[in-house]
Amino acid sequence: MPDGVAEPRTLAERRRKFNFRPWLRALHRDVGYLAVGLTVVYATSGLAVNHLKDWDPNFAQVSRTHRIALPLPSDDDAAGKSALQKLGVQEAPREVYRASDTQLDLVFDQRTFHVDTTTGVVHEEGQAARPVLRAANWLHLNRGKKAWTYVADFYAVFLLFLAFSGLFMIPGRKGLLGRGALIALVGAAIPIVYVVLSGGP
Amino acid sequence: MNRFNPEFEQALARRRFIQAAAGGTVIMALGSFYVLSDDLTREAKAQTRGDGRPRLPPGQRVIQALKPMGGEPGDPSPGNYRLRVHGEVDAPFELGFAELLALPQTEQALDVHCVTTWSVLGAKWQGVRVAELAERAKLKKSARYVIFEAAHGYTSNISLRDALKPTVMVAHRLNGAPLARAHGAPVRAVVPEFYFWKSAKWLTGIRFSNHDEPGYWETRGYSNHADPWKEERYA
Repeated sequence: MPDGVAEPRTLAERRRKFNFRPWLRALHRDVGYLAVGLTVVYATSGLAVNHLKDWDPNFAQVSRTHRIALPLPSDDDAAGKSALQKLGVQEAPREVYRASDTQLDLVFDQRTFHVDTTTGVVHEEGQAARPVLRAANWLHLNRGKKAWTYVADFYAVFLLFLAFSGLFMIPGRKGLLGRGALIALVGAAIPIVYVVLSGGP
Repeated sequence: MNRFNPEFEQALARRRFIQAAAGGTVIMALGSFYVLSDDLTREAKAQTRGDGRPRLPPGQRVIQALKPMGGEPGDPSPGNYRLRVHGEVDAPFELGFAELLALPQTEQALDVHCVTTWSVLGAKWQGVRVAELAERAKLKKSARYVIFEAAHGYTSNISLRDALKPTVMVAHRLNGAPLARAHGAPVRAVVPEFYFWKSAKWLTGIRFSNHDEPGYWETRGYSNHADPWKEERYA
């Protein structure tokens, strides 16, 4: 064999020397990169939706009461225009609706003014979308098109891969032969203990 | 080990981080179990309904006003509003908002219970009973269930027997004011005997069906029946 040329290894040697961990770490890393965006979407939306009873994660609510001087013109459109002028609202309503003898509704895209034409009390109510969170929740709750189900399925598979590949990334006492196993067991025990203590479904 | 050894310092920093993280987790977990007791809830717990059940279902806490609870809003415009009453009926029909207001109205003080554990007691709802709409639509004998249809494909389902109870209505006013957008304006269903997701917001249709059709939340792990007194929150 000439100098500087490595002797071909036998199949058995190659098998013996094959180390899967660099491959696993590389895959874990790249799948992790790929999952960052979706993790942000699902995690932020999950936090937001978990606390639905404390706040509306999709919309900021508007509810105000105003009082305007009377009288208003008898014609609904003119009354609406006059009311808005007194409220200092410049934009035109998309609808002026006579809901009853005493109530005129001025409907805008984001809000509605309910005008009591006998007392001059105006109740303004509406909701303004929280742009990023609303989109994240829309995706998380799968309220969009069915195609998102496939994306979510892939993401779930990625998460499973990240979980299981993470178990085997480090050899020895810091891996599954030591603290890794202990921490993994604690993590797995959390849902089990919770189900047992809470009585389960 | 030398105390100024970088490895020792690293291990110490890691230990401090783990201790801090564990401490934070314990504090958060304990915090979630800490529930403030309040007078409204205490008073409601002491009351009993006419049917002998406690006024406040188990696991609920009384608050003073409805919370929005999200959902994909429908068109709040009363001028564009249409309510379709159809399915297992001989005389299906559609109503505009003004036509709905022209029907016999009911105003009732009702308790509603959200699956997320809040309850609002005695809010005054005004609207038209589902029984009134069913009568006008002339139900077929085959009708067994009612499916509330709402904006963006949201649905909820209850049995016909439950839907025809006098407290079940399509509501357009709450506590004397027009229904707010966040609560389903211009018209929503109100089904007080069940968890509140059954009371579909932004209601667009009432379909009478000869078979049960689990709705939006019912197909996502929530109870099909949803009785708050049995705590039927999840399937």
